[in-house]
Amino acid sequence: MTVIQHSRKLTYSIQKYGISYLFISVPLLSLIVFLFIPMIVSLWWSLNDYSGLTAAKFVGLNNYIKLLTDDKIFAKSLLNTTLFVLLGMSIGPTLGLLTAMMLNQKVRFSSLFRTAYYLPVMTSLVVVSTIWLMLYNRNGLFNVVLQEFGLPKVGWLSNPDIALISIVFASVWQGFGFETVVFLAALQSIPRELYEAAMMDGAGAWAQFRYITLPALRPVILFVYIIGIIGSYQVFDQIFVMSSGGPVYSTSTIVYYLFDKFMDLRLGYASAIAYILFAILVIFSYLQMRISRERA
Amino acid sequence: MNIHPKSFGFTFKRTGLYTLLIVSSLLMIIPFYWSVSTSLKLEQNVFSNPPQWIPNPVTLENYIHVLTRIPFPRYFANSLIVAVITTLGHVFFDTLAAYAFAKLKFPFRDQIFFFMLLALMVPFQVNLIPLYKIMATLHWTDTYLALIVPNLTSIFGIFLMRQFMLTIPNELLDAARMDGCTEFGVFRKVALPLALPGIATLIIFTFMGSWNDFLWPRIVTNSEKLFTLPVGLAQLQMKNTSNVAQIMAGTVLTALPMIIVFLFMQRQFIEGMTAGALKE
Amino acid sequence: MYKKVLFSLGIILGLLLSSCGGATTEPAATEAPIITEEAAEPVTITVWDYYGEATPVKPLIEPFQALHPNITINYESIDWDTTLEKLNVVLTGGEPPDVVTVDMTWIPKFAALGAFADLLPLSDGKLNGIPWGEAYTAGGLKAITYNDQIISALYDFDVYALYYRNDLFEQKGIQVPTNWDELMTAAKALEEGELYKYEFDADTFHGSQWIYENGGTLLSTDNTKVVFNSPEAVEAITFNDSLLVNSVAINWTEDEGERIQGVKDGRIAMFSDGPYYMGIMKSAAPEMAGQWRVALHPYNKQPGSYLGGTGLAIPVGSDQQEAAWLFIQYAMELENQVNVYKLAGAAPALKEALSSPEVNVEDPYFGGQKAFSIFLQSMETAIPFPYVRQWSDIDDAFTNAMQQIALAELSVQEALDQAAATAQEALDQ
Repeated sequence: MTVIQHSRKLTYSIQKYGISYLFISVPLLSLIVFLFIPMIVSLWWSLNDYSGLTAAKFVGLNNYIKLLTDDKIFAKSLLNTTLFVLLGMSIGPTLGLLTAMMLNQKVRFSSLFRTAYYLPVMTSLVVVSTIWLMLYNRNGLFNVVLQEFGLPKVGWLSNPDIALISIVFASVWQGFGFETVVFLAALQSIPRELYEAAMMDGAGAWAQFRYITLPALRPVILFVYIIGIIGSYQVFDQIFVMSSGGPVYSTSTIVYYLFDKFMDLRLGYASAIAYILFAILVIFSYLQMRISRERA
Repeated sequence: MNIHPKSFGFTFKRTGLYTLLIVSSLLMIIPFYWSVSTSLKLEQNVFSNPPQWIPNPVTLENYIHVLTRIPFPRYFANSLIVAVITTLGHVFFDTLAAYAFAKLKFPFRDQIFFFMLLALMVPFQVNLIPLYKIMATLHWTDTYLALIVPNLTSIFGIFLMRQFMLTIPNELLDAARMDGCTEFGVFRKVALPLALPGIATLIIFTFMGSWNDFLWPRIVTNSEKLFTLPVGLAQLQMKNTSNVAQIMAGTVLTALPMIIVFLFMQRQFIEGMTAGALKE
Repeated sequence: MYKKVLFSLGIILGLLLSSCGGATTEPAATEAPIITEEAAEPVTITVWDYYGEATPVKPLIEPFQALHPNITINYESIDWDTTLEKLNVVLTGGEPPDVVTVDMTWIPKFAALGAFADLLPLSDGKLNGIPWGEAYTAGGLKAITYNDQIISALYDFDVYALYYRNDLFEQKGIQVPTNWDELMTAAKALEEGELYKYEFDADTFHGSQWIYENGGTLLSTDNTKVVFNSPEAVEAITFNDSLLVNSVAINWTEDEGERIQGVKDGRIAMFSDGPYYMGIMKSAAPEMAGQWRVALHPYNKQPGSYLGGTGLAIPVGSDQQEAAWLFIQYAMELENQVNVYKLAGAAPALKEALSSPEVNVEDPYFGGQKAFSIFLQSMETAIPFPYVRQWSDIDDAFTNAMQQIALAELSVQEALDQAAATAQEALDQ
């Protein structure tokens, strides 16, 4: 094409698409400056040994190699985080589904109950962690109640075998209300006729659940799991407030370890941790999408 | 229509159901109750054995201490300003961008969107220092600009609104275009009103996120006059001789505004949010 | 309605944004004669103070500004944790403060990265007219020196001594222990079920003390080798652990709450900590006045303690270093150092202040004891943590070992050996 033809095509494109690009211009610009540029900077740092104060030293993939092969604390953090996600994402959505099903039974005051489940979701994780830190105190409410029943006191956050589980409890308490509400809405959109028809065919409660309820909930379950896993893998606030990664690294999580390295001014190493997490989450999301597409 | 309990999967006897609901709701509320109760106790009674379910004596000294020792109104105002402006920004920019991604066609549209989604999987903490350096270069550190401008739009917000926008029938938009509306007019007159439940959700999520934000404001502000509520209250907490009852008073004061907002806007919020989750 | 709300929001925003922009600079309006010799242009310096409520730093501002009318101080009170976080961020790329209170335990990393300005040239080698070496004790000077540079002015010092329940000692006829065996005897006689124990702390501050008291160290003198698993060190930590094993000590984990709770409800009858804790006990446990005393911590081969405290440092990125130095020097004047004790209950680092009668008072809370002289004694043999870049990794490894020992997950030898291996790996990089 000639130059004139090219430029005519260009102006035509600009006119046609200009509005669209205009609409997304400000958000995109903001994201580029405040999100993507920092991301690229930290990606570059991950290939360096950098303290922020002295000159950066290029080390290629060394940070990543060290993290994946020779860092016991990172390995423990990865393990802990995965455990946290497994536990949280088993208990949370289950509780959410159970409570949603209870609320779906046309009970009076259902919005009151729903509020009780949902209120913690509106509270920041820092506030929640502060409250539970007090509850988990050696002489806090939980231990005192245990003592009333003649049971010994528990080191909720000082016993390395249960510290992580204690944090899971607090996190589930804070979060499952979200699933309750989402599942409830999904349940309410299932047509009653389906259940009535199944009943007339002689299907029992469990069969109804398995062949009507669950399939109808599948897209919502997928949504809950994708969001939940991405979020839980980044767990930080609770660790920061309640346990500082201890005792003996039993509650050290990936993002907490990352933060710790940042505070030791090992910016390159910390950035590498972030991008390993990123890779894990990308793989997870991709797998989840594939699984859901195959089942559909 | 008479709903027979038996027809919904599990069988629940009525009383059993109510018992479960009541007990579980109470269990959920206990941590909140306990923190309020503790905030009204004298420090020596905080870990008393047997525990004081009802404080005895009830005292307001913790609240008085917190409210006088720190410039609470200032922190509150800062949190409010930042949250309101941030939310307004989100409502405007996120919906506009979402509309473009959902309803307009342009080259690389889906690729750009996908790339943005990837960014959700990078933990914020890793961007902390580079972002701070950008603030420093712009000389925005320790100003309201640093608290607000980086947060005027978010990928999550665009994603959320896009899901809502996707459900708007194209015929309505085409009709408006044929009536001679500019694209912005179509957005304003047709798309926006139809996306209102989504906007309500966006408002609450954004407001909540901004109100509860802790790490970034802490890093980027030095002057007390710019502290937001979580930052100001955390300072109280991290002294050497921490007083649990006072900390609880501070915690209650931090959580209360969001809880009140939620209690008032419950219905819109839950409707909006579940609608978004169901549109996949 | 909607428009009105927007409009008023806009006004409020405008008003607030117009007042933002960092430090408020009040131009020096005075024409008064300048008392000191620095340049006459108005200058603003930012001071970050982590002391909190009972701060000896804030009261310095007004008199200092009166003495130096062209210097205005922008004062920020930021708590300890946040100061550390912010320093990390700000030093790497922002507008650092001109004077900042730093904990001595932060120094290794920042010093190794050259984050703080060398005070020697700024001060012409003298602190308020006397050479630095004479202003501080040997330990104090060592704590602020790195590579022949003086990177902060030690402002208050922290060394450990034994706090004990004298009333219980007298009641039970227990002698104040001076060595480890006596400590074990005393602890056994003292404890009763869940009460009156010695506080065991699984951290480097306390663990290192036991090691020093047995003639060991954490690193070799040239800071190249990790030696906290030497025979002396293992013996020391084994004894420390034996207190737990014999149930005469309580492992004070974070979920026990604040130590002051344990002090008040009797779970703790002996513990090792620094002079600042005297102030905390007085304000939080006034009802226990007269019950406690301090003594040199019992040792095996020689007295020992970690040496820490707070220093005043000038970040290298500050562009008002001369003015910042003037403020620091002012803070280090004798009167103002004495106020570190009077206002914050902390121990002033200046030698002259340490031995002054105002600081060495008979303390009624501690039964009329001259409590300070004990800490002074401890300071003579106190050792600062080694200043290596990898200190954080070494500290973490050691702390982890202490926790494993307290939880009886590993034997003392195993735990310390593993930790030493980890720490050595970090040190070798």
